[in-house]
Amino acid sequence: MRELGTPRRGQSYVDAIRQQFSAAVLEEAWQVDNQVTLTVDLNSLPEIVETLYYKHDGWLSTITANDERQLNGNYALYYILSMEGPVKSYVVIRGLVPPNRPEFPSVTARIPAMVWGEREARDMFGLQPVGLPDERRLVLPDDWPDGLYPLRKGTMDYRSRPAPSGGSETYPFLSAASGQTQEVPLGPLHITSDEPGHFRLFVDGERIVDADYRLFYIHRGMEKLAETRMGYNEVNFLADRICGICGFTHSVAYASSVETALGLAVPARARFIRTLLLEVERLHSNLLNVGLACHFVGFDTGFMQFFRVREKAMTMAELLTGARKTYAINLIGGVRRDVLKNERVRTLQLIAELRQEVTTLVDILLSTPNWESRTKDVGRLDPQIARDYSPAGPVIRASGYARDVRLDHPYAAYAGAPVKVHTRDGCDVLSRIVIRAEEVFNALSIIEYCLDQMPEGPILTEGFTYTPYRFALGYAEAPRGEDIHWTMLGDNQKLYRWRCRAPTYANWPPLRYMLRDNTIADAPLIISSLDPCYSCTDRVTMVDVRREKFATVPYKELERYCREQKASPLK
Amino acid sequence: MFKLLQEIARKGDVTAEYPFAPFPVSRNFRGKPEYAPTNCIACAACTIACPANALTMTTDPVAGSRTWMLNIGRCVFCARCEEVCPTGAIALSNRFELAVRSKADLMMTAEFTLTNCRFCRTPFAPTKEVNYVIARLVRQRLPQEEAERRRELYETCPECRRHANVMSRCRTLPAQEAQAA
Repeated sequence: MRELGTPRRGQSYVDAIRQQFSAAVLEEAWQVDNQVTLTVDLNSLPEIVETLYYKHDGWLSTITANDERQLNGNYALYYILSMEGPVKSYVVIRGLVPPNRPEFPSVTARIPAMVWGEREARDMFGLQPVGLPDERRLVLPDDWPDGLYPLRKGTMDYRSRPAPSGGSETYPFLSAASGQTQEVPLGPLHITSDEPGHFRLFVDGERIVDADYRLFYIHRGMEKLAETRMGYNEVNFLADRICGICGFTHSVAYASSVETALGLAVPARARFIRTLLLEVERLHSNLLNVGLACHFVGFDTGFMQFFRVREKAMTMAELLTGARKTYAINLIGGVRRDVLKNERVRTLQLIAELRQEVTTLVDILLSTPNWESRTKDVGRLDPQIARDYSPAGPVIRASGYARDVRLDHPYAAYAGAPVKVHTRDGCDVLSRIVIRAEEVFNALSIIEYCLDQMPEGPILTEGFTYTPYRFALGYAEAPRGEDIHWTMLGDNQKLYRWRCRAPTYANWPPLRYMLRDNTIADAPLIISSLDPCYSCTDRVTMVDVRREKFATVPYKELERYCREQKASPLK
Repeated sequence: MFKLLQEIARKGDVTAEYPFAPFPVSRNFRGKPEYAPTNCIACAACTIACPANALTMTTDPVAGSRTWMLNIGRCVFCARCEEVCPTGAIALSNRFELAVRSKADLMMTAEFTLTNCRFCRTPFAPTKEVNYVIARLVRQRLPQEEAERRRELYETCPECRRHANVMSRCRTLPAQEAQAA
């Protein structure tokens, strides 16, 4: 594949690390030209990750823990960094954790972005991050028995449900606020998407001083399920269901991770069909998000209009795939369904209609009087905090960083496609929503490009065999940021380990900074500007710390307050 | 504001007549799986391909039967079953109205008789599948009598076939060794 003499992309990072930490690098393994895994001495790992992150423009994609006791006697931790300096590549730093002393030095103190990945490694594998100040569970519920680590091999069946170890919630919510504040719990169901997630707002009057939140109420155990029950192709359909919005993106990321691990070439036509459908998915998601933003600023007519237009994107998906969502198109090695001529013609018609209608609606939205006043300078994500937390998608692009996997690490047929990265410096809700709207038009152009340039030929590679224990990364830019899948193949026609990270996983940790110094009425709007993948509560309890008084406010009331900004529920 | 009102007036009423009029779906729409038991040979390819385990098969060795089951409540409408079915017995339709009053109505079952192994008499393969294999041979220009002659082979369970193989090998081997000596 690689021409002799041309250095691999990312070689410069490996050289830099070898120069600075020559003794610490134990093993160098290239999965593909832009993906390298360096096994390093566990004690030097934090410093190496920090060097790559801050000195070489590295961003955190995700952290994967893996139970490799059957392979090499140890647990392994993979810190997956997307290098976005002059050379774009993935560098994965791997550390081996011995099972007799399952501890590793935490990187969180150096890079705040690591906090969720390390907490998850502790919950799921029982690996203790030494020096991680946050000792709370992330994924597992409070009543999960101690010492039962679900993703360790051989611990439990995917169907078994351990008896609860206690009956009450013990999760403490943390506040960095000094002085007296009121506590406003939002949850266990989310305001914008009616999905579970518990928010605790610490307020002084109407102003949010700090916020903390707890998610994973609907952890579905998909990684375990895939590892224990499903074959490689079946996981494509499971990945389709990770998210109700960007499911196809997950499916592409998963399929390409397996294809990369095997060194399997996907036919060009299949790559174009994937690109085409990824953009169809982006269309509907962005229109949905802009529509919801209208709803939360009290512009319900706009919400209805955006949803009316979004229906055309749904029709397009149904026409091209046979379903409005859960396209079920990917297999390992290509796609299952071709695009026919009459579908191409109809899609181009829909594109023309959408372009005209969305232009009109966006004009109307931007000239609506209270639109700007409700969204400008609300929910600011400071560029430095963004740098420290590696958020993804429009959230990071609205804080001035031009991060987009479609350009940084082109996959499918994106190399050559007219991808335009929209960035803004507003750092606020307005910027995030406007970027989503702008990306609608870019998606329309990419769909046209794909239909126009799609080469003839086969759509599926067949007749290959799976090699055990190969691993690789797969990635795809979802409407909300990049989906990252790390897979290791097994020896029983099942995955040995599957790690999938949705963009919202990266966008949650910096949310508390976005909420700070805003009013309670803006909280639903700020949370919805992340376009989070979770759920929000149907009721809100207000705790008045000063008066030691509780008050429970129904969720609808808070949503009403967000839209109307009249009659505060706190009074 | 004026533009918005204009847009609303221009678009008029967009609500669909459904359920008072049929709701058209695209030709490729993947809806409720339609099953034709007469075509099915109970080969179990669909149950292996089904990612959601909506399709399952159970064997009752006492009754000598195999039951094919589809639980539409678990179906994810991916059409993998349609893709792998060798006889076109299952295909996804355009029907999307799946509501039922009783959960049992989401289940679909079909029972197939199994052929007994000629040697050990245990039921092992669906009779229809054995017949299908022989019909395939005929279709590939194998003379009818020749195909029928192979029936004994196809009506022997893998266990007995392996046993027979080993035994015939045992019978020939000493003779060969004697010859070599």
